[in-house]
Amino acid sequence: MSFSITSEVTNSIAKLTLAGSLDSSSASQMQAEIQKVAGQSPTELVLYLSELTFMASAGLRMLVFAKQKLGTSVQIYLVKPQGQIVDTLQMTGIIHSVHIVDSYPS
Amino acid sequence: MNIESNSFEASIDSLEPIRDFISEKAISAGLNKKKNYGLNLAIDEIATNIIRYGYPAVNISDGKITVIISVENNQLKVVLEDTALAFDPMQHLLPTDDDINKPLEERPIGGLGIMLARQNVDKFEYEFIEGKNRNIFINNIT
Repeated sequence: MSFSITSEVTNSIAKLTLAGSLDSSSASQMQAEIQKVAGQSPTELVLYLSELTFMASAGLRMLVFAKQKLGTSVQIYLVKPQGQIVDTLQMTGIIHSVHIVDSYPS
Repeated sequence: MNIESNSFEASIDSLEPIRDFISEKAISAGLNKKKNYGLNLAIDEIATNIIRYGYPAVNISDGKITVIISVENNQLKVVLEDTALAFDPMQHLLPTDDDINKPLEERPIGGLGIMLARQNVDKFEYEFIEGKNRNIFINNIT
């Protein structure tokens, strides 16, 4: 499934909605959106993932990139990631650096 | 035994077509959804390495990745063949537990893809034969 991403920043909260497959081909689109929202210095980053069906390590790299770009104090929330994506986050330990939630705000 | 193969340009635009080609065969061979996802992830990581590092390292711009799928004795075997730089993922150092537990911003990112490739199939093998890398992914169907 092809990848799509939209972003908005409201009240210093950056919200990205992802759908489809996030691999090394589509990761550049996510990188561009992170750079775009970084310009507004958000305090939190929320990724809506319920429609994201596939995430390779290129996607994990984008989470690291976001943390580096936005600052380590910016918390990252992943809203409703699919089970297999959670497995990947678990396997790589990245799960400890993000908050997995069912909704945002909770 | 049923064998099917297809050749793809070694370009990141081929990643999705490669995953789709394998998924279709894997699902029809009876691989469950969870294992099919793991297989796709493993394939994607190795193919990405071939495309991003393997072919550029030997200055080949029109490289190919050949996917060979076979089913025998309730095992689904997928082979990725390429003529890029010889690279054995089995010899690659994996991130340590210390690395995995580091905060996100301090994580060394190298090696995550290979770790995911090796951990998401029942068996991963590598061989180098007649100038070709052969990355082999084996899954039990039942």
